[in-house]
Amino acid sequence: MPLLETRDLTKEYRVGDHLVHALRGVSLGIAAGEFVTIVGPSGSGKSTFMHILGCLDRPTTGQYLMNDRDVSTLPHDELARVRNEMLGFVFQGFNLLARTSAVENVELPLLYTRQGVVKAGERRKKAMAALDAVGLTDRAEHHPNQLSGGQQQRVAIARALVADPSVLLADEPTGNLDTTTSHEVMEIFARLRRERGLTIVVITHERDIAAYGSRTIDFRDGKVTSDLHHDQTLAQSSHR
Amino acid sequence: MIKRWLSHPIVDLALKALGRNRLQTGLTMLGMMVGVATVLAMMAVGAGAQQSIEQQVRAAGLNQLTVRAGNWRPKLEDTGEAIAHGDARDTLTLPALPGLAPDARPATPVASGDILRIAFHPEDDPMEKHDHPLARQRLGDLEAGLGSAATLSFADAEAIKTLPGVQYVAGGVHENARVHLGDKRWFTRMHGTDVEMPAIKRGWMLSDGRFFTRREQDNAAQVIVIGQIVADKLFGPGNKAVGQEVMMWNQPFEVVGVVTSSTWVVQPAPGDDQFDAVYMPYTTTHRLLNLSKLNDITITAASSGQVTTLARDITALLRQRHGIGDNQADDFTVLTQATRALTTGGLPPSVARAVAGNVAELEKVTLEQLATTLERASRTMTWLLAAVAAVSLVVGGIGIMNITLLSVTERTREIGLRLAVGARSRDVMKQFLIEAVTISLAGGVAGIILGIVAAALIARTLNWATVVSPVSVLLAFGVAGAVGIFFGWYPAKRASLLDPIVALRRE
Repeated sequence: MPLLETRDLTKEYRVGDHLVHALRGVSLGIAAGEFVTIVGPSGSGKSTFMHILGCLDRPTTGQYLMNDRDVSTLPHDELARVRNEMLGFVFQGFNLLARTSAVENVELPLLYTRQGVVKAGERRKKAMAALDAVGLTDRAEHHPNQLSGGQQQRVAIARALVADPSVLLADEPTGNLDTTTSHEVMEIFARLRRERGLTIVVITHERDIAAYGSRTIDFRDGKVTSDLHHDQTLAQSSHR
Repeated sequence: MIKRWLSHPIVDLALKALGRNRLQTGLTMLGMMVGVATVLAMMAVGAGAQQSIEQQVRAAGLNQLTVRAGNWRPKLEDTGEAIAHGDARDTLTLPALPGLAPDARPATPVASGDILRIAFHPEDDPMEKHDHPLARQRLGDLEAGLGSAATLSFADAEAIKTLPGVQYVAGGVHENARVHLGDKRWFTRMHGTDVEMPAIKRGWMLSDGRFFTRREQDNAAQVIVIGQIVADKLFGPGNKAVGQEVMMWNQPFEVVGVVTSSTWVVQPAPGDDQFDAVYMPYTTTHRLLNLSKLNDITITAASSGQVTTLARDITALLRQRHGIGDNQADDFTVLTQATRALTTGGLPPSVARAVAGNVAELEKVTLEQLATTLERASRTMTWLLAAVAAVSLVVGGIGIMNITLLSVTERTREIGLRLAVGARSRDVMKQFLIEAVTISLAGGVAGIILGIVAAALIARTLNWATVVSPVSVLLAFGVAGAVGIFFGWYPAKRASLLDPIVALRRE
């Protein structure tokens, strides 16, 4: 049984007089513990697909099942809860709050849990643990402008991890990073998957970054054009 | 508790966000502060006016009594004679010259030798041209003959002074008089009175100079305090009267003071009994007019609640002093403010007499009504002032809306991120509302401080009474919070309705 499953997803939206078909029937299943990389040219619908996976958007038609539960029709507040409890986001532009320390940035999702605001002490403890997972405990009190791009993205990953989600969704996480740092970040994803069994979905347009995945899905014109399962060990050894 | 509130992460975030736009936040708070301060100061001015009206109403009457020589009030034990007198007076069809009306009262006859020197009253001269209200047109002259019975003495006044509950006592002699300054003359009311009069007349204010002194009273000095109207008529408005010499009864008097009203409730007017009048020591009047009796004695009770008791005590005391038997009528009249208002208020004398004689605690009724009316008027004024000031609060509120909108626009990506990590619309809304309310409350607290200072300054520089009540402070605080919520609502709502995807893409 896949952890995430889409059935014939379509998404249409209007841009002026044009009706844009961003997705034209996407049916995919992603099992727990998979490391999926999604590639495709811009406008291929991969970002739209990611938004629906991330419960930030709802499909026009079709179903999106998470643990066999249809989440595509949930009300806004319920979707917010799913995002908070099940999903962690990593963005291309890091999206850290300025003038706010790394550890406080990491604490952010804990302000919005189902049980309300997590107590300060526990919040700090969890945030430090998350920073430890990305190797940044010594930068906890630094502000974003005192951190390098790679460090900022690692803080963002810690933030995505802090609420203990099952799925990490990353939209072009290496788009703003140099090659070395990009690989460092991808290594972190691979390690998190290995150590914690996290399901990871990464959008990228760089083939060598896509190669980190255990599975690579190609998008073109709102449709899946290829879906390749790599040999896991091969994928990892080829980049060592 | 405040510390816990401040350490709440969402409040903390709001404060941090405000810290990012320090100048804008400061200016917005300034706007709010000015608004709140204006409202508070205006309410303080209004409440001050209200309080001073209450004080003046109290000062004007509730605790004041007047004993007049002579009596017209029919008493129950009278065997119809007094009532007959009253009727006889009413049926007199000569209202044209009430000053000359026969003194139809069971009073001690006036010794003919007592009324001297001014044998003929100038106002009664039919050939005289009058440029002022005649005695009969004056308030209080309906019973012009009332006070002229010579039954009250200075010794009576001294005796009343010893009664418990008495605050001030002033004996008075009253005449109409012509005051000359060179070839200018003014016909007015002359009051021979006591140095304690200014203490009794709390509605008085000396616009220049001073009242006469006890030494001058003891020496029967020829000094005079003139009312504002007299000063204006003789010397012209704005010209200095104090130190000048005026003539009365062919005698020189030094003007030592000018008296006017301290309250807008009573305005000096030609023909009134207080400010179109001149005051001199009663001893001086006695000496020059060769008099020895008093027309009336004005008394203030230490507290207004004692007036009724005091009136009874004074009646008993004077009856005893005057040797009046149980079956005889008083040879004096004790008037409280209410009975005075009635008898001088233009009511037909028979009606006034009936009301004053039969309605218990009449003084309370009428004065309370007066007080209520004035209080209502001043309360209306307070709210009017506050409403005008509230406009500035609206301006402050628009400032808050502006900066909150700015904040929302600047932080669209942050809002998107918060939504992505699980914030609900209402969490976002709460965050921006807290920001708006924080600004408005901080501005409100500063405004309350500024308003209190402003009220104190107004009181000091303009001499207006101002009262900052705890209720108005609480109200100002509450209004500040409400303004924050009201004007923060729209930007906060806008923020909460943002689409996370669009918000995250915003540069």
